[in-house]
Amino acid sequence: MSSRLSRFLVLALVAGIAAAPAAPVSRFYAAVSMTKAQKNSSTPQDSGLYLRQADGQWTNFGPRILGVTSLATSPVNPASLLLASADGVVRTTDGGKTWRKTTGWEVADVRAIVFDHANPAHAYAATAWGPLRSTDGGASWQLAQQGLARLYCQTILADPASGGHVLLGTEDGVYASHDGAVTWVRTAFPAVSVLRLAQSAADPKLLLAGTQGRGAWLSRDGGQSWTAADPGSATANLYAAAISPHTATQLAVGGWDIGVRVSADGGRTWADRTAGLPAKNVFVLAFDPDVKGRLWASTFEEGTCFSDDLGRTWRDGGLYGAYAFDLVFLPPAP
Amino acid sequence: MVLVLMLSTGALFAREGEKGVALSDADIARRFEERRQSVLVSSIAELDPADPTKGGHYDVAACLQRGEKREAALARLAKILAVKADGNMFWMFPMVTLMMAGDQSLDAPNRARIAELWRTYWPSRGDTENHWVLYYSSLYLAAQTYPGAGPEKWFNGKSSAENMAEARSYLEHWMEVTTSFGQGEYDSPNYIEEYATGLALLSGWAQDAAFRQRAHLLLDYIFYDYAVETLDGYYGGAHSRVYPRQIVAPGLTPSLALGWLLFGFGERQPNGTVQILALSGYTPPPILERIARDRAQPYVERELKRTRWRLRNAGPESFVIGDKRTIPVYKYSYVDQDFILGSTQGGLLQPIQQQTWNLLWRTDRSAAQAANTFFGVQPYSSPLEGTMFFGGDWDTITNLIARSKADYDTPDKLPSGSPFEQVYQHGPALIALYDIPPGTRFPLVTMFFSRDLTHTEEDASGWIFSQGGPVYIAYRPFAAGEWKPNDWTGLLAHGAGGFISTDFAKWGTGHRCYVSPALKNGYVVQVAPARAFASYEAFKAAVRALPLTFTTAAQPEATFTSLDGTVIHARYGATPTVNGQPVDFAHWPLFESPFGHATRGSQQLEIAHGAERLLLDFIHNARQESAVPAQP
Repeated sequence: MSSRLSRFLVLALVAGIAAAPAAPVSRFYAAVSMTKAQKNSSTPQDSGLYLRQADGQWTNFGPRILGVTSLATSPVNPASLLLASADGVVRTTDGGKTWRKTTGWEVADVRAIVFDHANPAHAYAATAWGPLRSTDGGASWQLAQQGLARLYCQTILADPASGGHVLLGTEDGVYASHDGAVTWVRTAFPAVSVLRLAQSAADPKLLLAGTQGRGAWLSRDGGQSWTAADPGSATANLYAAAISPHTATQLAVGGWDIGVRVSADGGRTWADRTAGLPAKNVFVLAFDPDVKGRLWASTFEEGTCFSDDLGRTWRDGGLYGAYAFDLVFLPPAP
Repeated sequence: MVLVLMLSTGALFAREGEKGVALSDADIARRFEERRQSVLVSSIAELDPADPTKGGHYDVAACLQRGEKREAALARLAKILAVKADGNMFWMFPMVTLMMAGDQSLDAPNRARIAELWRTYWPSRGDTENHWVLYYSSLYLAAQTYPGAGPEKWFNGKSSAENMAEARSYLEHWMEVTTSFGQGEYDSPNYIEEYATGLALLSGWAQDAAFRQRAHLLLDYIFYDYAVETLDGYYGGAHSRVYPRQIVAPGLTPSLALGWLLFGFGERQPNGTVQILALSGYTPPPILERIARDRAQPYVERELKRTRWRLRNAGPESFVIGDKRTIPVYKYSYVDQDFILGSTQGGLLQPIQQQTWNLLWRTDRSAAQAANTFFGVQPYSSPLEGTMFFGGDWDTITNLIARSKADYDTPDKLPSGSPFEQVYQHGPALIALYDIPPGTRFPLVTMFFSRDLTHTEEDASGWIFSQGGPVYIAYRPFAAGEWKPNDWTGLLAHGAGGFISTDFAKWGTGHRCYVSPALKNGYVVQVAPARAFASYEAFKAAVRALPLTFTTAAQPEATFTSLDGTVIHARYGATPTVNGQPVDFAHWPLFESPFGHATRGSQQLEIAHGAERLLLDFIHNARQESAVPAQP
């Protein structure tokens, strides 16, 4: 999530639109499966993207496909969107009027997808069967497995400050590529499954990772070295990680049975901010690029909330019954 | 050396099967065609011109194919098509069946509605092997129907040509992997119907002759796989997937319905795949019925399968096919005229619904009532298993699996694989060993005793004896257990399983389980046809006298001399031996029995019955019927 935020912020700064907009300007999407109502069925009641309207209501957007997990937009064409789904990558180039699956049968279970803002024709995806790369804006895809010991991955980010620098969260730790996902090398990260990567827009060298069973990890050198970040979540499964696009010192992680934990000092100290949430099982966190300090948190099936005081209090953000995989802010539609 | 003679095999190989069933090619073909026609006739009868709410997709398809009750069928179809599309690939194949079988009789409004649905409804591909086969076989044929249609005509924004190419590429890949390394979702008495459906559609209606032929070959292939392990239509041996009701009552599986249509076993049961097969025009090669009915001599069937793809937690024993990881599944079945005892090696071979081993016996009870089975299970559930095979998250995967497979996370479940179970079988005897770590969610070993068993006795020797129809059973647990009723948590009885619980009172009651909580555990099972002994007492005396040593102190281990004098030795974590020789898993064949042979990676299966041969050759996309001289 944060990687998208960071790219958006960079884009916004370049475009000169970051000067404290009076009203929210981003398109705010949730990639969800509606599993709460899933009874005696192997499929959820609904699955796909929901778009948050100005009145706070969420409405369907795009095709209803099983396993929709994320969304990315082209840095040069806001009408070009890439949808990550269990069926593969699905692309629109007209803002969602028409969609086309741009992967073949070989691609399934796409868990995360990003554009390379430093090289806008390039896009990358993490799938349960290995990473993918595209050099034509997501119109076609190639397997990108060279150098990986194991293929499973579910989080990926492309460094907006360094073209071709891509970080991949796999079941075997964090891998890095410096050639646009052609080849991968293992970073100094524990051999654990990495569930979420986030990058600071204000300080691109600052990275935050959530892991399965090993808590949160921080890197302050762009992913070359990592240190355990939060003793309070050291053994947790952390599905969510986010860094404020406005303030690099504001970090948040969330996970199963641990709720939300935040740091206001760049990761030196952490505090529990679960009180007020409808549940302690958190899968996504996102800082709002339009409202400084606003943090969004989505729980497993019990709703999505937001906080304007770094988690001290929470307000209902809707999406009750959803199993959210990502909360995505995209630049406004053209 | 095989002398290949291209000839009509019918006259040469006519012979009488059991119960006086004539088995010439002509007799088999005539009876099959009679059954096929009866399916179509009764399908047509389901349509009521006065009531357009009656009749399903395949009933409509039969009317349209035959040109009977056309107006009623079109009216019914309009009703069906008016319902909001739902069900993903399970929406696709009924639609395609209608489009294919009914093509000549469809009217313009229904054609337009069908085309509109393909444009607007996005059926997802699913996450199992059968889902993908159904999805791509349906997509291929649907796209074939609209040649030249552009991306704007399709839900996924791909043209007809692109959809056909993607579908064919997957299906040919799947066929190659299946005929080289075995199916991933192997030998399921439930899911055989999904594979039969997809392949029947392709073999019936693919316009490309070569592709149609390939699908037909694979249909023959999976029906051989079934025929060689069937007993009166019951699907014996270990299964990749089976539901709670069918594991208890094997007569309720779709394989029984197929067994009736394909080979004439039992009574006709309502079944959509049977209707699709009848509509497709598929006719099984007659050698399959001859094999399915030939149980004159006991035989061993060995087969190589594979696990479904392991996307993570694959383990050091995994190997790669293409870029997907799996491990081999070593299947072994002992097939007797009165029973089938079949097994795999244990371990996590499938998610959710694995049956590692079972005994199935011939029964006179009706298919709806029979509980002619005996098996053991280590009930296991964990996120490790779920995330191994599915793309979900560790903390939710078990919960979400149980939304549809309600029994998955219960201690009294009966279908289950376990990483702490190792099984080795030789002939009609097997040893199972367990080394369950402390803290395992369900630290139990369960032996299922069906209500059809009789004369169950706990012998002072430590053996538990029982009788299933014409089969004597001896079971020697290595650790003490207690008797519990089937479904002792009451989950299924109280309806929590949704469709899984339906009619539980009919099939789920009256059974019991012998449940042992010992973590270091194991047992021996020896079965024998009752006809081989003068009495039950004689069987028991013979078993009591068999040499057996075992330990559960450290690594569970057992050495057992079976009724035929074979010495089987198994130690948890080690390769078992038979008469002192290690079992050669490295050269385990893809298929091997008196009725067929295929080597790993061959893409060729030679089916045999007497001097008759049928080669299913996927390398050359050809079938070859031949005969060899009888050996002196």
